[in-house]
Amino acid sequence: MSSVDLQSLRDNPDIRLEPGDEHDVMVLSMGPQHPSTHGVLRVMLRLDGETVVTAEPEIGYLHTGIEKQAENLFWQQAVTVVDRADYLAPLSNSLCYVLAAEKLLGIEDIPARARVLRVMFTELTRIASHLVWLGTHCLDLGAQSIFFYAFEMRERILSIMEFVTGARMHQSWFRIGGLAIDVPAGFLEKMDDFIDRFVERLNDMRAIVERNVIIVDRLVGVGTIKQEEAIAWGLTGPPLRATGIAYDVRRVHPYCDYETYDFDVPTQTAGDCYARFLVRLAEMYQSWRIIKQARERFPSGPVTIDDRKIVPPPKTEIQHSMEALIHHFKLVSSGFGVPEGHIYQAVESPRGEMGMYVTSAGGNKPWRVRWRPPSFYHTQALKRLAPGNLIADVVAIIGSMDPVFGDVDR
Amino acid sequence: MPESISPHPERAALAPLVEALAGAAGPYLLEVVAAEDMDEIALRPEGLLGVVDLARRNGFNLLLDIGGTDHYPLQPRFEISYHLTALPTAATASEPAALRQPNFKAPRLRLRVFDDGEDATVPTLTHLWPSADWAEREIFDQFGVRFSGHPDLRRLLNPDDFTGYPLRKDFPLRGLERRFVPGGRAGAVPPVTET
Repeated sequence: MSSVDLQSLRDNPDIRLEPGDEHDVMVLSMGPQHPSTHGVLRVMLRLDGETVVTAEPEIGYLHTGIEKQAENLFWQQAVTVVDRADYLAPLSNSLCYVLAAEKLLGIEDIPARARVLRVMFTELTRIASHLVWLGTHCLDLGAQSIFFYAFEMRERILSIMEFVTGARMHQSWFRIGGLAIDVPAGFLEKMDDFIDRFVERLNDMRAIVERNVIIVDRLVGVGTIKQEEAIAWGLTGPPLRATGIAYDVRRVHPYCDYETYDFDVPTQTAGDCYARFLVRLAEMYQSWRIIKQARERFPSGPVTIDDRKIVPPPKTEIQHSMEALIHHFKLVSSGFGVPEGHIYQAVESPRGEMGMYVTSAGGNKPWRVRWRPPSFYHTQALKRLAPGNLIADVVAIIGSMDPVFGDVDR
Repeated sequence: MPESISPHPERAALAPLVEALAGAAGPYLLEVVAAEDMDEIALRPEGLLGVVDLARRNGFNLLLDIGGTDHYPLQPRFEISYHLTALPTAATASEPAALRQPNFKAPRLRLRVFDDGEDATVPTLTHLWPSADWAEREIFDQFGVRFSGHPDLRRLLNPDDFTGYPLRKDFPLRGLERRFVPGGRAGAVPPVTET
């Protein structure tokens, strides 16, 4: 072995290795363009043979200053940039922001139809996000066919999104005070078709991957983290639930009437990559159950509150009413003010607890929108998860944490 | 701005702890507010470690987030907000299987630390929670607030040679140009004068 002993390297990740040192430790820069990093992550690895000694993730390659942008847009306009942080689950982002703004405004009477549609579409988003995770994660592990099954199903969800909101990716459909528009005619048929197909296809996918020898061999016992450590590293969502705590914001701090839906919070106890894998697979089925219940409720009625100081009047009214025209003009040209205050609002995004700490100084723009990005903490935990594993398993670990770099870097 | 303390019956069990935490802040306490979403304690940075230590010993084991806010031009200018949650663990729950049912309570707590001046410094929490590492680096990067005792306080999201702190309210939205210098380092150069 070398003059630099491995244990001291583990204890002091900052030891610099000089070219003249006798050692078997190799420094490898993985990324930022490595395909398995799902975005732009760079991990500085120190390797002893094929075993990772230390891992230091480097982030910021996708930093676009979304928090700063949100401070310089009207409250309603900021929905569009908020959407773009976690680009695989845009509706979870905007739901969090919209709920926070509504709490600051004191709006409590969001119509039932809007609440049901919000639940339905955030759960659709969760399934779509988990499908991307399933496809790419298995692709990283060497299983190719599941990718096509997953993306075919995701395409159906994106088609429904496009049909309803006009956009496949960044819908910006949730607005402060309700929804941007109501669903078009023919929506329910599409949903019914999706609900029937999805559960069938999910069963197919589970049959392929759940006990697949490739998946099991690559994931069991890899990247294990204990419950106390998971909490100390700030993990939430599937990585935390894979260690045996059913902490789900939808249940513990319910929003949008989640307490009235019947669904389970899947947990595992092993805390390794396979446990996280099983948790996400089971979550897709639970989301499908919630969507089904939302479809059964599906009340009629308006999708926005009746407050012209917040929600612009319908176009037909603007043509006849002077007052409606003025309201429309004021909302477009200067937005609306939000009372001074601050609030923390959290939702369960596909990745974990997505929180927003929104501060208002009373103006027509948010004073500060601070994210609690789940992927940020999950990426940071690679420092703890990767050491001790083989370099090929780093790919599996990154995939099992499911970070989205729009969310990490904002 | 002091708010009137309104009763929140679901948080009554937490009230003695909040009182004890306010006591732990000692002379550095600014105010205790029963806000709409959770109880919050505002304090000066000197009192932070004592309060956090007591909160940790009373079950607040998950550091959800550390965020920064610039209240410019108000004084004190910088607010560092800590959101904590108390999760039951295998050690505290009656039986581990109970943790797998999502019907436990996870109370939240917010600490708002106020500091002013250009050289605002707040004690680090990295020795208590490893997750505080990046969160504190990000605040240093975006606001220029320093964390005393942090082992590796470098910029996180912006490049290492970046100048200025972008999320400060007095950071210009436009006019700061970064220009590529062939053979040299790119950096912030004064705004181009329009002719």
